[in-house]
Amino acid sequence: MESLFAVLVGVLVAAGVFLLLSRTIIRVVLGLAFIAYGVNLAILTVAGLRDEAPPLLTLAGPYVDPLPQALVLTAIVIGFGTTALLLTVALRAYQVAGHDDVEAFGDGLARNPDAPDGQYADPEHLSPDQPEADHEARS
Amino acid sequence: MTLAVLLPFVMAALCAWLARPLGRRTGYLAALAFVPALLLAAPLAGSSVEPGGTALSQNTPWVPELGLNLVFRGDGFSLLFAVLIGVIGTLASLYSVAYLSPRERFGRFYPYLLLFGGSMLGLVLSDNLIALFGFWEMTSVTSFLLIGLWHTRSEARDGAVKAFLISALGGLGLLAAVALLSMAGGSTLLSELDLEAVRASPLFVPALLLTLLAAFTKSAQLPFHLWLPTAMEAPTPVSAFLHSATMVKAGVVLVAKFGLIFGSSALWAGIIVPLGLATLFWGSWRALKQTDLKALLAYSTVSQLGLLMALYGLADAEGRFAATTHLLNHAAFKAALFFVVGIIDHETGTREVSQLSGLRRKLPITFVLAGLAALSMAGLPPLGGFISKELFYEAMLHAGPAFIAVAVLGSALTLAYSARLVAIFFGSYRAPVDDGGRSLKADVHEAGPGLLLPPALLAAGALLFGVWPQSTEWLTRRVGAALDFAGYGGHLYLWHGVTPALIATLITWALGAALVWQSARVYALQLRLELPISSNGGYRALLRGLGTFASALITRTQGLALPDQLRITLAAAGLMGGYAVWRAPQVFQPFGTLPPSVLPIAVLLVAGAMGVLLSRNRLTAVILTGLTGFGSAAAFLAMRAPDLALTQLLIEAVTVILFLLVFQYLPGIRDLPRRRSRYAVDVVLAGASGVGATLLILASLRFLAPPISPYYLENAYKGGGGKNVVNVILVDFRGFDTLGEIVVVAVVALAVGSLVRLGRRGRAPTETDTDRQSPNRTIPVRPINNQPSPTDQEVRR
Repeated sequence: MESLFAVLVGVLVAAGVFLLLSRTIIRVVLGLAFIAYGVNLAILTVAGLRDEAPPLLTLAGPYVDPLPQALVLTAIVIGFGTTALLLTVALRAYQVAGHDDVEAFGDGLARNPDAPDGQYADPEHLSPDQPEADHEARS
Repeated sequence: MTLAVLLPFVMAALCAWLARPLGRRTGYLAALAFVPALLLAAPLAGSSVEPGGTALSQNTPWVPELGLNLVFRGDGFSLLFAVLIGVIGTLASLYSVAYLSPRERFGRFYPYLLLFGGSMLGLVLSDNLIALFGFWEMTSVTSFLLIGLWHTRSEARDGAVKAFLISALGGLGLLAAVALLSMAGGSTLLSELDLEAVRASPLFVPALLLTLLAAFTKSAQLPFHLWLPTAMEAPTPVSAFLHSATMVKAGVVLVAKFGLIFGSSALWAGIIVPLGLATLFWGSWRALKQTDLKALLAYSTVSQLGLLMALYGLADAEGRFAATTHLLNHAAFKAALFFVVGIIDHETGTREVSQLSGLRRKLPITFVLAGLAALSMAGLPPLGGFISKELFYEAMLHAGPAFIAVAVLGSALTLAYSARLVAIFFGSYRAPVDDGGRSLKADVHEAGPGLLLPPALLAAGALLFGVWPQSTEWLTRRVGAALDFAGYGGHLYLWHGVTPALIATLITWALGAALVWQSARVYALQLRLELPISSNGGYRALLRGLGTFASALITRTQGLALPDQLRITLAAAGLMGGYAVWRAPQVFQPFGTLPPSVLPIAVLLVAGAMGVLLSRNRLTAVILTGLTGFGSAAAFLAMRAPDLALTQLLIEAVTVILFLLVFQYLPGIRDLPRRRSRYAVDVVLAGASGVGATLLILASLRFLAPPISPYYLENAYKGGGGKNVVNVILVDFRGFDTLGEIVVVAVVALAVGSLVRLGRRGRAPTETDTDRQSPNRTIPVRPINNQPSPTDQEVRR
């Protein structure tokens, strides 16, 4: 059972990563969703899958481990929040840039590294000097 | 002792608070902080530091489990040094009162100075190696603050940054060294290290080298000496305190203390002694060339530190005995000289040698003090410096002919630059002028008692150490037990007969006199021999190269299109994770018998994933993702998690609706195909990620610790009053966590709402607008009129 789910998680994560690397922004969002599915299942799998009762005290024990379930419940909701935010950001980006090609969203960092554009550290040009202050006592 | 270390920290806060009302008088308050350190002279004079006596020890538990306690141990060496710090610290505080301008920001100066004093006391007294490192770093930071006190000057900033970079580099070395030492020696206490185990350990040599890195950077030894001259941008009292008598000696202290551990290795002396002597020679050679008095003293300090290093580095009783004597002498005469140069600067307005002459007519008392201290520095009788130089020669004679030759040469240069320093007092008086020929100070006169007293006391000490050698010897002997030279039979005399050391001294004097006599020619020669490479140039080139390299690296890895950045990040993470998974023990259990309900779930999950990968348009992709989501919910059911299944179903439905809403605004354009060149890379990355995830789970199937879940099962009803344990965990045991989660969702809702509202107002571009551009070209951003204008709102009201 655990081994089967380990393989399934592998498939989900692989699909998620492949989607994450695509050019279409919607697919990037879907990729994250797939990775989230995989991770949720992984958390439960690692805790051990036993043929026991769900953690409802109205039933008779023994019960499965409730703690990973609580963690995953949080993760599902947060995952939804992430998806929703990404989607609206994608929408906004599409409206501003006029396309949804992730590769074409430049961030202005791509530049010639050798160009003297002031982007290297030079101890002599750390900041413009303020006017010289007078520190000597004039008695 | 704990009080001696902690009081300066407390007083620092007090001084910062009272600086405004007290003004320059804060210095008197600051001097009080060093009183407990001065009182440590009592145990130093007492019997507790004699051989056989027990060292003082005070333990303040902090994190005992990790061996992190404030343990202060007062053996003779630590106490002697602590008293030295106390004396110089007090004098520097008092001197500052008269030296600094009334407009100075005392609320910064004195707290920094006291923070430094406390850190330095902690450094010499701490027996705990980790605390030792902490205090070491604190001295680096406070030194940075003090050098950069006048931060409006670019030189001060440069000096501060340089000092900090170099000392912090050494500090990292020390951290690694103390970690290795405590691992090898089985204790975090210096006094309780198992020396046999350390010497036998394979960590011995790395620890030794790292300790040396720390000591050399802090004590400005070649090739790390370049920060000390630029540190002279600090106010002069700071230079006297930090950069002559205390902080720069921290490295020397380290070599002295750790020499008892590492001294057994030939590597120790083999590295330190040659480097120390090279520093001695180079420092004095450079000092002779300086025209600024303070720079001259700075290079002189570099060379004297080299001498101390070489002596302690010999790691024998004779060397440690001589070094301790010289340490005392050096602190006395060098701090005195810094104070004297401060006076000259203060009274004449310049430190340029060429501007100053005949000062003895105007500053007679200063002249006497400078003369005494400089004589001691030059190693002339009857001053303390002469005695310790004799001891130095003795030790070097035993070390070998090459060593004594370098020592003599360095000392001759020392004599020459001492003479240069004193020369400003002779000749006819000229009023110093600035570049324009105007006089700097209308009326040059002797300084007041506030400036004269500190150097007077120190110069008196330098004289006393010489004319009454027994006093110096008594002080040096206090350290005997701590530094393991109690059995050494040497004594201090002004006249000890005609010995090889005396002959070496005579040669030194002859050489020194020749250098002084031909000083003009020597100076010309020095200018001609100016090396094309300078350490400062190297430092700058290194920083610039680092900047260029960082810039290039960032551009190559981060300045790309987003998918490419992700590819690089994933590949790096994959390599690291792959190594970890490969090392981990694998637990692969065969599938065994599976419950029949699981198979459809597996098919659902895989079908959804494959379908999305193969789908040609977005709508299909989203719906197929939903399929996987439902498969996931079914899997939760199979895993006995009904709550999760419910939540997943709900979320899945809402997600699909959200996607469809968004598609309303995104015209149905086709998918962008992946670039061919990236296709194979992506397949490999995705496959590796999947395999890695699978292996990770298989490796994690063992319990490393007993699960904590039974606690929740037992207490859910008793403590939380609920029968659904998962819910009770969420709202009760981990209530704040859930509150945070709710906040996150609320923030997302706000963000989504406002973004969608913006979109409504914006003009959705039509298909003709979509311009396919190659990456790395800037996209023209269309201005969108999305701010509701005020008139709009008026109308709505």
